Amino acid sequence: MSIMSYNGGGVVAMKGKECVAIASDLRFGIQLQTIGLDFDKIFQAGPKLYVGFPGLATDTQTVHQRLKFRTNLYELRENRKVSPKVYASMVGNLLYEHRFGPYFVEPVVAGLDANNQPYICAFDLIGCANAPDDFVVAGTCEEQMYGMCESLWKPDLGPEELFEVISQALVNACDRDAISGWGARVYVIEKDKVTVRNVRTRMD
Amino acid sequence: MARRYDSRTTIFSPEGRLYQVEYAMEAIAHAGTCLGILAKDGIILAAEKKNTNVLLDDENFFSDKIYKLYDDMVCSVAGITSDANVLTNELRLIAQRYFLQYGEPMPCEQLVSWLCNIKQAYTQYGGKRPFGVSILYAGWDKHYGFQLYQSDPSGNYGGWKATCIGNYSNAAISLLKQDYKEEISLQEAKALVVKILSKTLDTTKLSPEKLEIASLYREKNNTKMSILKHEEVKRLIEDQERVEKEEEAQKKREAEARPST
Repeated sequence: MSIMSYNGGGVVAMKGKECVAIASDLRFGIQLQTIGLDFDKIFQAGPKLYVGFPGLATDTQTVHQRLKFRTNLYELRENRKVSPKVYASMVGNLLYEHRFGPYFVEPVVAGLDANNQPYICAFDLIGCANAPDDFVVAGTCEEQMYGMCESLWKPDLGPEELFEVISQALVNACDRDAISGWGARVYVIEKDKVTVRNVRTRMD
Repeated sequence: MARRYDSRTTIFSPEGRLYQVEYAMEAIAHAGTCLGILAKDGIILAAEKKNTNVLLDDENFFSDKIYKLYDDMVCSVAGITSDANVLTNELRLIAQRYFLQYGEPMPCEQLVSWLCNIKQAYTQYGGKRPFGVSILYAGWDKHYGFQLYQSDPSGNYGGWKATCIGNYSNAAISLLKQDYKEEISLQEAKALVVKILSKTLDTTKLSPEKLEIASLYREKNNTKMSILKHEEVKRLIEDQERVEKEEEAQKKREAEARPST
């Protein structure tokens, strides 16, 4: 039994043309028993910045709260909102602080920077950052998500197409994983609005 | 001789006074004025900016008198600015630690009380000097609504309906005693603040550069703090000057109408 598959779940983020999308499944389960259907692993960290924490559910909550502590102080002292790159640095820093007793989450950051350029970043549980130009995946169904993203993603997708692509990638990957799924939520972040949609999935 | 008892903070004088604490309060009595008024729908904090040098780069810092502590609370400081920076940083940390532990915002009085316990420790242990800062706190919480608190270097604090710290605070407080009404509205409080400051500050003419007015209010279940813009401060000052002119003209007419003895 791996600690990272105790609760299950998956998060994916993709870059589009002047937009990003981030999506997560909604299952909260304990090993093979499903308990909740509304456990969104994605949280808002800024007006155009979202972060997902797939992995052990208690660490999902705790890492989010501890990061909120740090970003609140940052915003008070610097009198500005935290940018995606800086936020990603804070995530990596917090995780590495616990290098020898880590939080069992693999965070995914997605947002638009000050010039509305898309930014995505994924981490391993001890804070190694990876900020590519296409997509990032994390969770118990990440291998399935890699396959789906690699075949469906293209560069410069508009917000509507990006929504379709990320939804298909997440839903089909979760369907091939017993402990992911049970509903999905997709956030599409554009320069002037953020659209949140719930996607119907197989409820098993 | 008072001199013999000054050197340590942690010693009483023969009359039972703590000189270091009193000297700290002296430092504050010479600092820029801060005025706070509790209205029924919000709180106004006004601060007199002493550093209005044109060479100061004032684009990149928010304020040296008014600080946001967390979503539901702001404070205004009077005294030694560097001490104030240390205390406001500590206040922000205290509030965030509470939020991390309990998952809800810290109630106002608890934050004031926590910091005051720290301030008091500097008057009893350690051999360090007290902080030379008095702070006015304006906050909202779900238990008691809008609240205004004042703390001083001794670690003492109190809740107020209206109060003033810093230069000319005694004059301002006596004016407040006459002019403050219960159930005052936020807009009336803004006018009152300008009236009191124009009567107590030593400069002959108030101007928006010398004055910083912040208002704390609730909107849609969120606490908001806004610093009044230049134009609005200018308008409030002009309204106040107009009222003063009318009062003077009125006094003149009454004096002329009265038969001279």
